[in-house]
Amino acid sequence: MKQFFDSLLNVPVPDPDDARRRRLLNILLLGNIAAALVGLLAIVISNLATNQLANLETAVLLGSTFISALGCYGIYQINRRISGRWAALLYLLLLTLVFTFTDTPDQLSNGRSLFLFTLPIAISSLILLPEASFLFAFISGGIVSGLALSIGQAANVFAIIGFFMLALVSWLSARSLESALRELRTINANLDQVVTQRTQALAESLARERIEAGRNQVILNSIADGVIVFDKDWNATMVNPAIRGILELSPEVIINRNFRELIEHPRLSESGRRLLRSMIEHDTQPLSFRIEWGDKTLSVSAGQVYEIYENGEANIGTVAVFRDFTREAEVERLKSAFVAIVSHELRTPLNAILGYAEMFREAVYGPMNEKQVNMANRIITNTQRLLGLINDLLDQAQMEAGKLTIKMEPVKPSELLENLHGLLDKTASDKNLSLTSEMDDTLPETLMGDSARLGQILVNLVNNAVKFTEQGGVRVRLFCVPAVQQWGIEVSDTGPGIPHSELPYIFETFRQVEGAATRTHGGFGLGLAIVKELVNLMRGEIKVTSDSNTGTTFTVTLPLVVP
Amino acid sequence: MSIPALIIEDDEDLADIFAEALRGIGYEVEHAADGQKAKERLLNGAPPHLILLDMHLPHISGGELLTTIIKKDERFAKTLVIITTADARMGEAYGDQVDFVMIKPISFVQLRDLTARLRPKE
Repeated sequence: MKQFFDSLLNVPVPDPDDARRRRLLNILLLGNIAAALVGLLAIVISNLATNQLANLETAVLLGSTFISALGCYGIYQINRRISGRWAALLYLLLLTLVFTFTDTPDQLSNGRSLFLFTLPIAISSLILLPEASFLFAFISGGIVSGLALSIGQAANVFAIIGFFMLALVSWLSARSLESALRELRTINANLDQVVTQRTQALAESLARERIEAGRNQVILNSIADGVIVFDKDWNATMVNPAIRGILELSPEVIINRNFRELIEHPRLSESGRRLLRSMIEHDTQPLSFRIEWGDKTLSVSAGQVYEIYENGEANIGTVAVFRDFTREAEVERLKSAFVAIVSHELRTPLNAILGYAEMFREAVYGPMNEKQVNMANRIITNTQRLLGLINDLLDQAQMEAGKLTIKMEPVKPSELLENLHGLLDKTASDKNLSLTSEMDDTLPETLMGDSARLGQILVNLVNNAVKFTEQGGVRVRLFCVPAVQQWGIEVSDTGPGIPHSELPYIFETFRQVEGAATRTHGGFGLGLAIVKELVNLMRGEIKVTSDSNTGTTFTVTLPLVVP
Repeated sequence: MSIPALIIEDDEDLADIFAEALRGIGYEVEHAADGQKAKERLLNGAPPHLILLDMHLPHISGGELLTTIIKKDERFAKTLVIITTADARMGEAYGDQVDFVMIKPISFVQLRDLTARLRPKE
C-alpha cells in the first residue's frame, strides 16, 4: 500500500530538494483530483435527488470541476515527467485562477473569500521556491485590487500588506526549513560515511581474527602432543586432534566438558587423579608431572593463561599439554634398573677387595712391614673412593627415576654432628685440616627430618670441602631462625674458592670446576647434584658464596618442623 | 673357648673375609653359601650364638629365612642376628627384627670390632 502511494507520489530525481517539492506537489495534486472526484460525485447525487441535472448552473459546476481535475492530472504528469518548477508554477497559477472565480468580486476583494489567496502564497514557498511567496503575494494583491476596482471599490491595502507579511513569513520559514534539511543531509552524509568506515574496520578486524584463529587452529592441529585449553572454570574450550591418539578419547567427548569429570575416567591411575585434582584445586603455577593413563605413561605440562590489565592480571584459563611418555618412562626405568644391578655387581667385588686389603693392613696373616701397610692403605682409600662413586651413581639413578623419597622422623641435630665427626674426622686430620662444628642455642634438641638423608647432605658437603681445602679447615654450623620456622646447615672451608663464572653450574650433574682441581681430586662431581636434589625434596634451599681469599660457604636452609 | 657363628653369604670372598674377622676374635665359623643350604643348617644343626645373614641369597631369600625360621623357632631366641645388605631400604624394613643391620660395603675392621663387643664374656 505504502509502496503504491510512494510510486504514485515520488519522482526519482537526484536533487533531494527538488524531489521533496515534487512529492509535496504530487500530494496536493492528487488530493485535489480526489477532492474534485468526490465533489463531482456529491453534485451528481444531490442533483439526482432534486432532479436538477439539466440545470445549466449545475452543468457549469460539473464541467469546471471536471476540467480542474483534468488540469490537475495534466500538471501531475508534467511534474512527474518534465519539470517540478513548471508544474508548481502552473498549479499555483491555476489555483489562483480558480480562486478568482469562486466567489463574487466583492467577497473576494473584501470579504469572506479573501483568505483563499493566502493559500497559493504559503504553498508557493514550499513547492516552488521560498522567494516565490512574494511573487504570489504580488499576483494575489493585484487580483484583489483589480477585483475591487472592477466593482468600484478601493483596493484593500491591509489585505495586500497582509499578503506580503504572509509571504515574508512563508519565505523565512521555507528558507529555514530548507537550510535545516540541508544540514540534516550533511549530518546524515557524514554519519553514513562514519558508519561505512566503522563497518569496514569491523569487517577487516573480523577477517583478521578469523585468519588468526585459523592459523592458531592449524598450529594446534599440527602439534603431535595432545592439547586441551580450559577456561578459568576448567571447562575444555579447545582440543586438538592429537588428543585422540594420546587419551584415546575423541575430541568431541572432551570439548565443553569440565576437567573434573574427565579425571574421573577409569583409565586414569589413582595417583594421576590425585595430581590432576591438586592441579585444579591449587591453581598452581606452570607445572609438569607424569600420570598413568591406561597402559601409557603421559607427561602433563600445564600453564596458566593470564590476561594483563592496567591494574593487575586475571587468570583466564589453563593450557594443558599431554605427551605420550611411555617409551621414555620405560627407557628410564630400564636405565635405573641397569644402574642398580651394575652398581650391586660392582659393589660386591669392591667389598671383597676392601676386606682383603684391610686384612693385610691388620696383619691377619702375619706381620707386615711399613711399606706393605702403606700399600694396603692405598688400596683401601681407592676402593672407598670407587664405592662412594657407585653410591652416588645409585642415588642419581634413583633420583632420576623419582624413587628417592624423604621420610620424616625425629632427628637429633647433635647426633648428626657426632656421626659426621665419626666419619670424617680422620679424613680431615689425614690432611692436617681442622674439622669443627657448632650448634645454635635456639636449635631444638629434636626436630623432624630424614636422618639418613640429612647425614648424607652433611657428609657430602664436608667431604667436598675437605677434598678441596689444603690449609686451614672446615667449619660446620647448624643454625636456627625460629622467626621464619627455618633451620639449616652451613659448611665453610678455607679452600681456594670457586670462580664466579662457575658458581651457577656447580650443582649440575657431572660438573667439576675446570682446571687443576679436577685432576687432583678426581671424581665425577655427583655429590653436589645429589645434595641439591635432596634439599629440594626436603623443600629447602641451598646457596653458595665463594671468595678466592676466604674460601667457600654452602648454606642449606630447611623448613623447621618440631615433633 | 670357641663360640659358634653361622655366616650365610653367597659371595665366597665376602664369606671368607667375614669368617676371618669372626675367627680373629674367637668365633668358630660355619658357612652356608645359599638359602637352601642355610635352611637345612638352621633346621638341623645346633643354634649358633651369632648369625650373619645376607638378605640377597639364591633359592631362599634372607628375609624368608629370617621370618619363617629364625624368628619363629624358639631355639634361636638367644641368637644374635646381624643382617647384611647393600640395600638401605631392605635394612630399614627388617631393622626391628634383628640385633644389627650392616650396610654393604662392610669393612673387615668394622665387622671385627662390632662382633668383638657382642661376644659373650668368658
